[in-house]
This record gives sequence, C-alpha cells and structure tokens, in this order.
Amino acid sequence: MAHPSQLGFQDAASPVMEELLHFHDHTLMIVFLISTLVLYIIMAMVTTKLTNKFILDSQEIEIIWTLLPALILILIALPSLRILYLMDEVNDPHLTVKALGHQWYWSYEYTDYNNFGFDSYMVPTQDLTPGQFRLLDVDHRMVIPTESPVRVLITADDVLHSWAVPSLGIKMDAVPGRLNQTAFIVSRPGIYYGQCSEICGANHSFMPIVVEAIPLKHFENWSTLMLENSSP
Amino acid sequence: SRSKEESEKEEGFKLLGILDVQRIPCARNAILHGAGGSLTTGMLYFLATSRVRRSFDVGFAGFMLTTLGSWFYCRINNAKLRVQQRFIQEGIKNKIVYEGSVLDPINKPKAENPSGPS
Repeated sequence: MAHPSQLGFQDAASPVMEELLHFHDHTLMIVFLISTLVLYIIMAMVTTKLTNKFILDSQEIEIIWTLLPALILILIALPSLRILYLMDEVNDPHLTVKALGHQWYWSYEYTDYNNFGFDSYMVPTQDLTPGQFRLLDVDHRMVIPTESPVRVLITADDVLHSWAVPSLGIKMDAVPGRLNQTAFIVSRPGIYYGQCSEICGANHSFMPIVVEAIPLKHFENWSTLMLENSSP
Repeated sequence: SRSKEESEKEEGFKLLGILDVQRIPCARNAILHGAGGSLTTGMLYFLATSRVRRSFDVGFAGFMLTTLGSWFYCRINNAKLRVQQRFIQEGIKNKIVYEGSVLDPINKPKAENPSGPS
C-alpha cells in the first residue's frame, strides 16, 4: 500500500508493473533533460546582451526544433506501444475470478471448479483492529495463487465503478451490462490494496479492493474452506 | 517506524524535484557521466577558443549528449540483465519441479537396463 505523503509509484508486484516502472523511469529521464534544456535556454536568453531586430528565419534551427521533438516522441512511443500490447496479452489463465461492483462494495465469484462467491465490504473505522488500515482493509479479501496467470472479469451491478490495484498495474472499469477482462500474474505473496477508481456515489471512497496472494497449496486449502462455508 | 520514515526522507534526493537519482537504476551514473562530460567539453572548448559564453553552451551540449548516451547504454544492459535474470529464475524453478523426469532441463542420462544373456 502507499505510505503517507507518497508521490511515486508503489513497488511492483507483477511483471507488467515492473515494465511500467521501467518505462516511467525512461520517460522521466527524457522529461528531466528537456526541462534542463528549457531552463538553460531561458537563463541564456535572460542574461545575453545581444539583440537582432532583423532576423526573419533560420533554416538550421527550424530543422533542429522539428526533428528533435519527433525523435523524442519516437523514443517514448516505441517502448510505450510495446508495453501496451504486452498488457493486452492473456496467456492461458489458470484461474478466472469475477469481480462485480455494487454500491458500495465489491463481490467476487470463483466459478471455475466449484461455485462460491462472497462480498467484500470495507471495515468501518470504528471496527478496525490494531494493524488494520483505515479505508483500505476489507472483511473478505480476494485471494489468488502466486505466480499463476489469473484472469479477472469485471462488471458492475448498478453504476460505473473501476477495479484498480496500483501495485499490480491494473485498472479496469466496471460497466453495467459489460464484461471487461484483465489478466495478471502476482510475482510474490502479499496483500495488495486498491480503491474504487470511478465516481459511483456517496461511498465511492469507501469500497476498497484487497488482493491477497498466497502459494497455490494454501490457495487450494482456502478455496476448500470457502466452499465448505458456503455450502448449506 | 518514524525514524525509518525520517531516514527515507533524508536519503531521497530529486534533481529538479522530479528525478530520484538514488532509486532509479542508471540515473545516478548517467548524471555523473553527464557532469563529467560537460566539464570536459566546456573546459576544452574554452582552452581552445577563450570564448566564455560559448564554452558554457558547448558544456551544456556535452552534458545532454553524455547523459543520454550513458543512460541508454546502461538501460539497454540493464534490460538484457533482467531478461537473463528471468530465464535463470524460470530455469531454477523448472529444475526443482522437473528434476529426474523427462523434462529435466539438465537431461541427466538414465542408467541403462542390463541386457539379457546373448
């Protein structure tokens, strides 16, 4: 999760997010160099004593300031498009989970092998136990196995919502009447937090998402337990 | 946790308020190479021409080119290293999972069965 006054990204927990972080570093360096160049040009212009009232054009500099931005854009666009297509790949997922947005909670359905599902409500502030995070923790987390491709089908029951987990590099709109798909692989066990990212009413800020990634063997135990609890 | 946060704040340093040179791989090296390249080109131009203002311009151009060159060289090597790292991780996982089986990446030869009497 994010720490107080954090400005940068959270640590990556999936390969796609790692790639996004590297792309961000690359773009930030380009932005830094452009900013430095502009700052230097401003300083040079402000401090010079030279003036030329009769300059009309200059082919050389116009060629430079046409080609250079084009080159910079290509340098940014190529890795960007690569990651865009990488994010669209869905490589034979081991598990499919359905996430439904409601006002104002999420529900998750695991229907691959046995049918079970549960609702995920935010833990109210007055009910927090020591160690839980305010406005982030939920009563039932979405549990998935680590290092397994997981597909999430996202939709909504009423109004627009958005299912987002920053450390996994995922954000997908939950649209009523539409099924959106996203896939990810969690690299390491842990608990990853996100929040609803599309305005959906009074409690839009109070329907967080918590993904718990655990080793496959523990996931099998958990799903067996959930099935036993849900069966009459 | 407060002392940890304070030490993290002290360690963080962002050039122009945006570039965290300590956390981004290759950033520190690129900026240092750029600074060195800028000093070198600027000084050499000044020694050759004695033009102060133009030397600053040349020095700045040297900074940009050296930083970019060092950055891309380091990032390309870093990317190759990460690809290798992923292959190694997959290989180690496969070795543990498939050791002794037909899919063993090392392909240890099995002992042949003794043939019957001729």
